[in-house]
Amino acid sequence: MAELSDKDTIIRIRNGEINNYSYIVRKYTTSIYRFIERKLFKKEDVDDLVQNVFISFYKAIEKFDEKKPIKPYLFQIVQNELKMYFRSYKKDQPLDERIISEVKQEDFKIEDFKSLNNLEREVFKHISEGYSYEEIGKLFKKPLNTIKSIVRRGRLKLKKIYEKT
Amino acid sequence: MKKLEERIIKKIYKIETEKTIGQIISETVLIILITLSSMFIFSVIIEILNEQTSFDLFDFLRDDFETIRDNFFNNSLLFIRELPLPLIYILIGLLLLLIWLLFILAKNSSKIKNKLVSLYKFWLK
Repeated sequence: MAELSDKDTIIRIRNGEINNYSYIVRKYTTSIYRFIERKLFKKEDVDDLVQNVFISFYKAIEKFDEKKPIKPYLFQIVQNELKMYFRSYKKDQPLDERIISEVKQEDFKIEDFKSLNNLEREVFKHISEGYSYEEIGKLFKKPLNTIKSIVRRGRLKLKKIYEKT
Repeated sequence: MKKLEERIIKKIYKIETEKTIGQIISETVLIILITLSSMFIFSVIIEILNEQTSFDLFDFLRDDFETIRDNFFNNSLLFIRELPLPLIYILIGLLLLLIWLLFILAKNSSKIKNKLVSLYKFWLK
C-alpha cells in the first residue's frame, strides 16, 4: 500500500477509517518519545506521557486543520502535557518535604524559613504546590511584580542565612 | 517502541469503541423515544378530536362537489380551531427533532460504517 500523506491520513480518520491513525502513531512516536525522555526525571512516566499526547491529538483531530503540518501541533500538545506533568509532580511534593530535602542538601534548618514573614512563607508554599506567579498574584490580589519581589526578597533572606552558616 | 505504539493504538481503539457504541445506542434510544412519544401524542390528539366529534366537520366530503366547494374552507377553519394546539405544537417539535436526528444519522452513516469496519477488524480479526 502506497504511503499516504498526513493530510490524506487525517481526512480518512475523520471519515471513520480509524485504522489510519496507526500511521501517525508509527511515524511520530520515536521523535516524541526521545523529546519527552530528555525532559523527564522519571523514565517510567515517558510511556504514559507519549500515550497521552497521541490520545489528546486523536480527540482533537476533528478540529485540526489538515492543511497544517501535524508535527508542530503534536509538539504543542507535548508542551502542554509536560507543563501538566511538572505541575502535578510539584503538587506531589509537599512544602515540608521540600524543606527537609533542602535542609539535607544545603544544610538549611527548618527554623531558617521562620525568618521569612507570613506572606513570604505563603508565597513559597504556593510555589511549591505548583502555582504560577500569576496565579499567586490573583490569589493574594497583588500585582505580578510584587509577587516576584516577595520571592526575590525571600530567596535573599534564605541565601544570607545559608552564607552565615 | 513497538510495544508502546501497540499500546497507544489499542488505547485509541478502546476510546473509539466506547464512543461509537455510546453514540449508536444514544441515537437509537433517542429516535425510538421520540417516535414512541410522537405516536402517543398523535393518538391522544385523535382521541380528543373523536371525543369532540370534530371529524364530523368533514362529513360534507361525502356530498356533491358543489357542497364541498362551498364548505371546505369554513369547515377546515373550524376544524383547525378545534385542534388541541399545545399538543399539536409538541408533536410538530418532536417530528422536527426526529427529522433532524435522522438527517444527522444519514449524513454520518458512512463514517459510522467505516468506524464499525475498523473496530471489527481490530478486535475480531
